[in-house]
Amino acid sequence: MKSFISKLNIKQKLAAVALLLGIIAIFAGNPYKDAYAKIDTKEIALIIQKELDHITAEELADWIIQGKSDYRLIDLRSEKEFEEYHIPTAENIQLTMLSDYTFLPAEKIILYSEGGIHSAQAWFLLVAKGYRNAYMLKGGLEEWKDKILFPTISQNPSPDEVKHFEKIKEVSKYFGGSPQTGKEENVTIKQTLPKLEMPKQVTPQVGTQKKKKKEGC
Amino acid sequence: MNAPFFKYGLFGDDFSLVVAFLIGIGFGFFLERAGFGSAKKLTAQFYFIDMSVFKVMFTAIVTAMLGLYYLGVLGLINLSLVYLTPTYLIPQILGGLILGIGFVIGGYCPGTSCVAVSTGKIDALVFLIGVVAGIFAFGEVFPLIKNFYYSSDMGQLTLPQLLNIPYGLIVFLVVLMAVGGFIGAEFVEKKMKK
Amino acid sequence: MNQTENENTFQPKPYSNPYLAGIGLGLVLLLSFVIMGRGLGASGAFSSAITAALDKLSPEHVKSNEFYSEYLGDGTKSPLKDWLVFEVIGVFAGGLLSGALAGRIKKGIEKGPRVSNSSRLLFAFIGGALMGFGAKLARGCTSGQALTGGALLNVGSWAFMMCVFAGAYAFAYFMRRQWQ
Repeated sequence: MKSFISKLNIKQKLAAVALLLGIIAIFAGNPYKDAYAKIDTKEIALIIQKELDHITAEELADWIIQGKSDYRLIDLRSEKEFEEYHIPTAENIQLTMLSDYTFLPAEKIILYSEGGIHSAQAWFLLVAKGYRNAYMLKGGLEEWKDKILFPTISQNPSPDEVKHFEKIKEVSKYFGGSPQTGKEENVTIKQTLPKLEMPKQVTPQVGTQKKKKKEGC
Repeated sequence: MNAPFFKYGLFGDDFSLVVAFLIGIGFGFFLERAGFGSAKKLTAQFYFIDMSVFKVMFTAIVTAMLGLYYLGVLGLINLSLVYLTPTYLIPQILGGLILGIGFVIGGYCPGTSCVAVSTGKIDALVFLIGVVAGIFAFGEVFPLIKNFYYSSDMGQLTLPQLLNIPYGLIVFLVVLMAVGGFIGAEFVEKKMKK
Repeated sequence: MNQTENENTFQPKPYSNPYLAGIGLGLVLLLSFVIMGRGLGASGAFSSAITAALDKLSPEHVKSNEFYSEYLGDGTKSPLKDWLVFEVIGVFAGGLLSGALAGRIKKGIEKGPRVSNSSRLLFAFIGGALMGFGAKLARGCTSGQALTGGALLNVGSWAFMMCVFAGAYAFAYFMRRQWQ
C-alpha cells in the first residue's frame, strides 16, 4: 500500500485526495443551515434573567436624539396602526414576515409592539434564528407613550424626581409629546399623538432602507 | 468560528478594503504563477495545445467548493450569508457566448489582463481600455436592453436546488467531472505535442 | 533553487504546475468566502471606475441610468471606495510581485508570428470591448461568475461557464492566425 502511494506522482495524489473528499461528501449532508434551529435554552434564560434582552424607552429616545444609526427599530403592529403613529426611525415588519426576513448577523434589532407580548414572542423567534443582537423595547409602545410622550410626575416629587422630569420634558417636546405636570388642570388635557413628521431632523438620517451596493461583479 | 467574518461584524467597511487589497494580491499572484499573464498561453487552450486554463480554473473551483462544503457541514461557516449572484439564465447564456468570443479575439479576460498589464504587456493595456469601452457601451444602451437583462429571472439558485439532488452528491459529481477532464486534458496535450 | 543560474542567463522561471496554481487560487477564493462572505471579481471594479468618472462629468446622466446608479450606492461615498476596486488594485500588485520574483516582467506585445502589431492591438481592443459588454450582460466575468459561482454551484454561473468555453472554441478557428 505504502509503496503504491509513493509511486503516484503529485497530480495523481491530488486527484486521489479530491476524489476521496468528493466521495465522503456524498454522505456528509447539507452544508446549508436548515430551518430547524437549535436553541440553547439555558443561555436564553440567562439573558432574560440578566435583563439583557430589552432597552428602556428613555434609552431609545436618547439614541434617536443623538442620531445613532447602528440599530434597526422594528414596529411589529399592523400597517394601519403603523401609519397612525410610530416611533421615529421605525420600520414596519409584522410578526409573520419576520421569520422570513434576513438581518445581518451583527445588526442590533429593537422590537416593539403595543404592549410587551408580541415583541417578546418576536424576540424569541429572532434569538432562535441565531440573532444575538435582538432587543425588546421595555413595555412597548404603551410605555413609550407614558414615559416619553406624556410623562407625568408624582404629586409630591423629590428633588431628584423634579430634576429627572425637567430632562424628560425636553425629550418629550423633541418627540412632539405633551408632558403632564401632574397638577389638576393639566390632567384633563387630551393626549394627542404627535404627527409623524416630528421631529424633522431625524427622519432623513435613518428609517429609510439603506440602498446597498451589489456584491457581484 | 463565525464565518463569514465580515457579515458577523468582526470588522467594518474600511478594514474590508484592506482585506480586499490583500485578497487581490493573492488572486493576482496565483494568476501570474499559472502563466495567465500571457495571452498566448491563455488562448492555447482553444487550440488544444495547452489546457492550463481549464486545469487551473477547475482545480480552483474544486478546491474552493470542497473547502466551502466541509466548512459548511462542520458548521464553521454560515453558507446562506455567502453572496450568491441571482440567475438570469438567457442573458447569462448570451453574455457567456459574447465573453467567450471576446476571450479568443482579445486574448485575456478582465482579471488576467490586469496581471498581464503588471508584467508589461501592451496588448493587455489596450484590451483593458476595450473592456472599459465595452462596459461604457453597455451602460449607455442599458435602458434599451433592460427588459432582456431582467428576463428569465430564476432568483438565487444552486445546482442541488435545481436538480433536487443532495448537495454532497453534486460536489462528488463535480470532482469526478473535473478529474475526468484533467485526464482528458493531459491526454490531448500529449497528443498535440507529437 | 536555481536563482544564480537564472540571473546569469536572464531566463524567466517556468510557470507553476497548473494544478498547484489552481489550488492556490482556490484557497484565495475560499479565504474570500470565509472572511468576506463573497467571492472574487474583476469587471465590477471597472464599472465602478466608469461610474465614478461619469459622475464627475454628468451626475444627472449617472442618476437617471439604472445601470450606473447601482454602482453609485447610496451616494454617501465615492463609487471608487468599493471592495472590488481595492481587490483589483491588489490583483495588479500581486501580478507584479509574482512576475518580478520569476523574472517575467518584460514590455512587449503578445501575439502569434503571423500577425502585425497594429492588428493585434486592434483585436485586443475589440476583444476587450466584447468582454466588457458580455461580462455586464452576464452579471460577472470569468472571476466573478465562473470561478466564484462555480465553487458555489450557482446555476447561472455554470451555464455561463459552459457558454464561455463554447463561444471561445466556436470562434477559435477564425482567430488562429493571430495566435498560432
